[in-house]
Amino acid sequence: MVAGDYLLAGLVAMLTGLDRVALVQAMISRPLVAAPLTGWLLGNPMIGLEIGMLLELLWLGRLPVGAAIPPDDTQVAVGATVLALSVGPLLGLHGMPMVILAVLVAIPLGKFGQVFDRLARHVNDRLAVSGENALLAGSTRGMERNHLFGLASFALASLATALVIVLVGSFILYEAAPFLIGAVREAGLSLQYSLVLVGAASLLGTINVNRSISLFCAAFTGTLLVLWLG
Amino acid sequence: MKERGLSWLTLTRMYLRSFLLQASWNFEKLQNLGFFYLILPGLHSLYGDELPEEVCRRHGGYFNTHPCFAPLVAATVLRLEARSLAGEDLAVDVETYKSMVMAPFAAMGDALFWGGIRPLAALIGLLVASQGSLWAPVVFLVLFNLPHLVLRGGGLLLGHMQGLNAIETVQKCRLPDLAIRLKESTTILIGILCAYLSYKGCEHQSLSVVWGFVLLPVVLLFAWMAHKGVTSLFLVLLTTSSLLLLALLF
Repeated sequence: MVAGDYLLAGLVAMLTGLDRVALVQAMISRPLVAAPLTGWLLGNPMIGLEIGMLLELLWLGRLPVGAAIPPDDTQVAVGATVLALSVGPLLGLHGMPMVILAVLVAIPLGKFGQVFDRLARHVNDRLAVSGENALLAGSTRGMERNHLFGLASFALASLATALVIVLVGSFILYEAAPFLIGAVREAGLSLQYSLVLVGAASLLGTINVNRSISLFCAAFTGTLLVLWLG
Repeated sequence: MKERGLSWLTLTRMYLRSFLLQASWNFEKLQNLGFFYLILPGLHSLYGDELPEEVCRRHGGYFNTHPCFAPLVAATVLRLEARSLAGEDLAVDVETYKSMVMAPFAAMGDALFWGGIRPLAALIGLLVASQGSLWAPVVFLVLFNLPHLVLRGGGLLLGHMQGLNAIETVQKCRLPDLAIRLKESTTILIGILCAYLSYKGCEHQSLSVVWGFVLLPVVLLFAWMAHKGVTSLFLVLLTTSSLLLLALLF
């Protein structure tokens, strides 16, 4: 990857990060979209799609409601894609093992996203006061300016999270990948499926509906029987 | 005095501004500036360029609702402002209306969009992605954004045309029931996805599909743990470290 690619990835990190709360909420921030988009812009959308699949369900049940701030799965997806496409070739690692390593390194670093997001919202506390004062002074333009400045704090928080994931993640991957890659290759498909299944279980555990267990069991059993006998 | 209406241009500007409702989301007053920003073109249409201080105070305070329902609330608020400006006696004043509806609409929107439509769209997208298709993100985006964009626009028009009666129309749509149906569908799709992965796993390891049923209690155990508050991060670390350890040992 060249410097221009990192710049592009930074732009994607900010754009998708804004979509989480501040702008539109069209869901381009979801890992299933953000990771393939990053991969496509960096020349390998399939790597992005694989990463998006592994991450999509993990925090899907955590609702972005009120003051609750879920872990930043958007930047985990963008960061993991950048890691897989930048560090992988340098270490001579490709394919699913590298994808899994990048995802495993990026997931815990997503906690930084919550810290930066909280910081951005505290910066916005000041903008809100300043905007309200402008309004009471009769300046609707001043209010609008303060409101739109809020976008900058959210964009910078997203960029900071992506930077931490890529920088710290690269360091960890350089140090740990040579030791772990053998085990990751051995466990390959099990690791890949386990991430999706943990996500599915987390979503099932947080979905608030009666009969969820019976519906899940019936769908699981029915589908497996059909696939088996079909 | 005759009630002033809003032009299509003003409504279009409000629709576009609704996408920036949460640009300055903050812990103190949540969407306060965002809501004012959303209704500003409408307020200018009603009061002219210089807004009365009383109006600024009325709409600059705490506000929080679901972003998809904000245009509906905004349009109704402007309708009430227009009626009040025309000298009509209002059954419910603007501030009471706002404080009365924002929390129920927030709860309804959260259940419908974050709890219902988003997980369902994501699971359908995942099933497409599991076939290796790059159309998966497109499918997900279309499934989520169709109702999202329609509700924003429809809500704005409904509030503008019906005013307070819009609440009744929304009630008739029985959106909470729809949210429950969507959640049930999501649960079924989770079951289908898990079974499919289980089948592929058995196939890959050349095992009998009967072994696939072993996954059912495992997923249920993890779901129970998640329900009890165990984080996804912990579950990921637990499963991956166990699998890596097993791979290293055997």
